[in-house]
Amino acid sequence: MNDKVLKIHAENVYKSFGKNEVLKGVSLDVHENEVVVMIGPSGSGKSTFLRAINQLEKIDKGSIIVDNVDVSDPKTNINKVRQRIGMVFQNFNLFNNKNVIDNITYAPLTLKKMTPDEAVEKARRLLVTVGLADREKSPVSQLSGGQKQRLAIARALEMGPDVMLFDEPTSALDPEMVGDVLNVMRNLAKQGMTMIIVTHEMGFARQVADRVVFFDQGVILEDDSPEIIFNQPKNVRAKEFINKIINA
Amino acid sequence: MRKKYYFFITILTIIVGLIIPFSNNTNFGVAADEKSHYTITTDSTYPPFDFQKEKQKEYVGIDMDLLKEIAKIENFTYSVKPMSFNMAAQTVANGQADGIIAGMAITPEREKIYDVSTPYFKTGVVFAVAKNSKIKSYEDLKGKKVALKTGTAAANYALELQKKYNFDVTYFNDSNIMYNDVIEGNSVACFEDQPVMQYAIQTGLKLKIPDQKLGNAGSYGFFVKKGQNSQLLKKFNRGLKKLQDNGKYDQIVDRYLGSAKNSVTKEKKGNLPHYNIATDVTFPPFEIQAKNGKYTGIDMDILESISKSQGFTYTLKPMSFNSATQTVANGQNDGIISGLTVTDERRKVFDFSNTYFRSGFIWAVNKDAKIKNIKDLKNQTVALKTGTGSADYAKSIQKKYGFKIKYFNDSNTMYNDVVVGNSVACFEDEPVMRYAIKNGINLTIPKQTPANTGEYAFAVQKGKNAALLKAFNIGLKELKKSGKYDQIKAKYLGSKADTNKEVGNTKEDNSVWGLLSSNREMFLSGLGNTMLLTVFAILIASVWGLILGIMGVSENRFVRGIYSTIIYIFRGLPLLVLAFFIYIGLPNLTGVKISTFAAGLLTLVLNEGAYTGAFVKGGFDAVDPGQMEAARALGVPYNQAMRGIIMPQGLKIMIPSFINQFIITLKDTSIISAIGFVELTQTGQLLVARTQKGFAVYGIVALIYLIVITVLTWLSKFIEKRLGF
Ligand SMILES: Nc1ncnc2c1ncn2[C@@H]1O[C@H](COP(=O)(O)OP(=O)(O)OP(=O)(O)O)[C@@H](O)[C@H]1O
Ligand SMILES: [Mg+2]
Repeated sequence: MNDKVLKIHAENVYKSFGKNEVLKGVSLDVHENEVVVMIGPSGSGKSTFLRAINQLEKIDKGSIIVDNVDVSDPKTNINKVRQRIGMVFQNFNLFNNKNVIDNITYAPLTLKKMTPDEAVEKARRLLVTVGLADREKSPVSQLSGGQKQRLAIARALEMGPDVMLFDEPTSALDPEMVGDVLNVMRNLAKQGMTMIIVTHEMGFARQVADRVVFFDQGVILEDDSPEIIFNQPKNVRAKEFINKIINA
Repeated sequence: MRKKYYFFITILTIIVGLIIPFSNNTNFGVAADEKSHYTITTDSTYPPFDFQKEKQKEYVGIDMDLLKEIAKIENFTYSVKPMSFNMAAQTVANGQADGIIAGMAITPEREKIYDVSTPYFKTGVVFAVAKNSKIKSYEDLKGKKVALKTGTAAANYALELQKKYNFDVTYFNDSNIMYNDVIEGNSVACFEDQPVMQYAIQTGLKLKIPDQKLGNAGSYGFFVKKGQNSQLLKKFNRGLKKLQDNGKYDQIVDRYLGSAKNSVTKEKKGNLPHYNIATDVTFPPFEIQAKNGKYTGIDMDILESISKSQGFTYTLKPMSFNSATQTVANGQNDGIISGLTVTDERRKVFDFSNTYFRSGFIWAVNKDAKIKNIKDLKNQTVALKTGTGSADYAKSIQKKYGFKIKYFNDSNTMYNDVVVGNSVACFEDEPVMRYAIKNGINLTIPKQTPANTGEYAFAVQKGKNAALLKAFNIGLKELKKSGKYDQIKAKYLGSKADTNKEVGNTKEDNSVWGLLSSNREMFLSGLGNTMLLTVFAILIASVWGLILGIMGVSENRFVRGIYSTIIYIFRGLPLLVLAFFIYIGLPNLTGVKISTFAAGLLTLVLNEGAYTGAFVKGGFDAVDPGQMEAARALGVPYNQAMRGIIMPQGLKIMIPSFINQFIITLKDTSIISAIGFVELTQTGQLLVARTQKGFAVYGIVALIYLIVITVLTWLSKFIEKRLGF
């Protein structure tokens, strides 16, 4: 149904934490330039699946292929693959012992992917795009939540990833900060970044998402365009969930 | 530690005292003199005098064999009760057993509590060296290290020699460890009681005694409670004499000490007008042994002045008071000056000089006390020293004045009880009390007439040495006339009229400030050693702890296993055990010698390093796991993420723990004193042994620790700031 390049191919992924089976056969394809939004009730396995894509979570069964590399294969050099997958966390996870620009340049310098000059130059450009150009030397503790998340996005972009993963990037923010972060993401989408975003920002999803997938109890129950999912979901549980969110 | 030990012994004695009367198969507590079965206590292990042969129940040894033979000759039976030495002595003092034979030295203190037999064994201090050692005499010890056992007479004697022969000393709390130190070659020699040393060598210890000369010679006796069991004492003396006459005595001694007999070199008499003067070993303020081993005191100063003015020389023979009187009475020595009271009894055997001192019992009170008259003591508590004449006197007037009594075994504690106000007064010999007050005891003597006054005089054997006696009397008269006599008295006793600043070198200034200034070098060197050990231990233990902590957060299970094992062992082992193991055990295993400093340092590094390792790992673990995830999500490998992100944040978390550990390390250096490293605590122990000023000395030591800890904390905080955390 899509002739674009397949970026992520997850097939029949299973994952348990002890006796708790969290992913029960998840399959998902994401193509180049596609923006996929994942929704679903709390505890349904969205984060676990997202983290499985860059192997922060090891899977028990099935396979996940990113850019034609099987990340679930123990022989794969996972650090290499991760350099091409940017990730943004709900809690930012900025490096507390580094200032703004050092947060961004840390990875390329540590991994010797760029010269210091290159790293700083690129970091500065990214700081401009996320609106933090004037905060280069600030300690991260002095940033607001919104600024922190925009910095986290810039940090993830520094290594020039092919794919970006967002796990509820605005959930920890005060409402007035949410807009700025979403704008940065919107711009990224416009530039054609391939993205998987876990979010409950329905407006944003309608606008930006190419597809919305509904997660429930470790499986994907529905995978459709935003219009269909939000207006006439086929699945009963998806309908209940969306109603709950929209009327909340 | 000593205090605790005594406390423990006291408790034990009380328990035994409660239990023993209920056991009916013993003769304990029988006061009747005429009996033929006795209970004799002894030390459970004091070879070659008292010990149990392997697998045998019976006690053997010089003491035991002598007792056995004497009992045979004198026709009595006895049961032996082996126990710790202190208990054995106390049990007899309490009257629960009849006598004690336990290699017990005859001392003036003991003669106050016990009646003692004629000496049955001569002992003294010798030094021993490794079998192949070339050391022959004290002179050869110069600049070398000598091992001593803390708190022993042998150690005290060695310290006297130290000044003259200039050797270094190292301390141990246990004989075997001390011997080992010499065998291992860490020290070149150790000082020990001659028979103990001789026997240890006889039974295979790889040391030798290069010079049989006895230092600080003394004698062992058989003791019974004062005023009791005189029959038993008589039997013992008689039996001993017979054994010595028939050669049995020599056989017994040879059995344990081999052919090298206890020959004490006979001292020569000069051919100038020269006398041997007997005196008490210690009876302040009359006879005081100063730091350098020389004798001073009122008696000594008077004797010295008179000998100068009257033109004779003398050799001083310090011994127990009883021996001193006896040796003069039987003509072995020419005269005695020893705070000897003139009595009619004594006039029968001695010719006395004119009296040179009047003494009596007095009572002293706290400086601030309102008590002015002995009647004020009514219903108050009074402190007495067990077994003293002044205590007997106080007891005799207790009913009349209606005070309560509390006993102490040691004068200093008794004085302090009054100083702190637990008791209102204490009874003491007047000159002794005045001397103590002069030396800083915070008491005062209210106006009173000394009771039971006695007059002290110099004495010679009756009918002999008239010339010496005459010289003494003339000399004394001149001294009094010239005012020198009053000076001497004032020097030791002080007086209201006395403002002269003449301070004899005999008097140690025992105030806190005096202790500090007169022992400055000791404290400084102790502190220096403590600091040296602390600084090195902190530096190396911190590095080692960091390495351990990093191992603890390794991705590799095997490395984490090593971490856990090391922490388990070295955090689990008591520091003291570890110190002993390293210092004594390790050279045995490896054959490599190790200095006390190195052993102490290694001990501290292993122990403190383990604690450091544990909190370093804890600090790393405490860093938000999201930090690691963020780094890993960027493709940074674990080890690099650890180094660049986790460790800097973890270190910041653990700074208070580091400072805490530094302080603990400083305090733990005190434990290294156990293997003989003379750091601050050990310095304190040595000083207390010499000055008996436990409160002041440990107070100073405690203060020094606090000051150093304050500086250390301050320094750590400063560095923390400078590092920009
Ligand atoms: N490290 C873990 N160890 C054990 N259980 C876990 C772990 N991580 C997640 N789980 C469990 O897995 C299940 C799915 O969690 P997950 O975080 O994937 O849900 P989610 O859909 O992201 O929910 P939310 O919307 O609340 O973020 C939950 O029951 C959770 O308790
Ligand atoms: Mg989640």
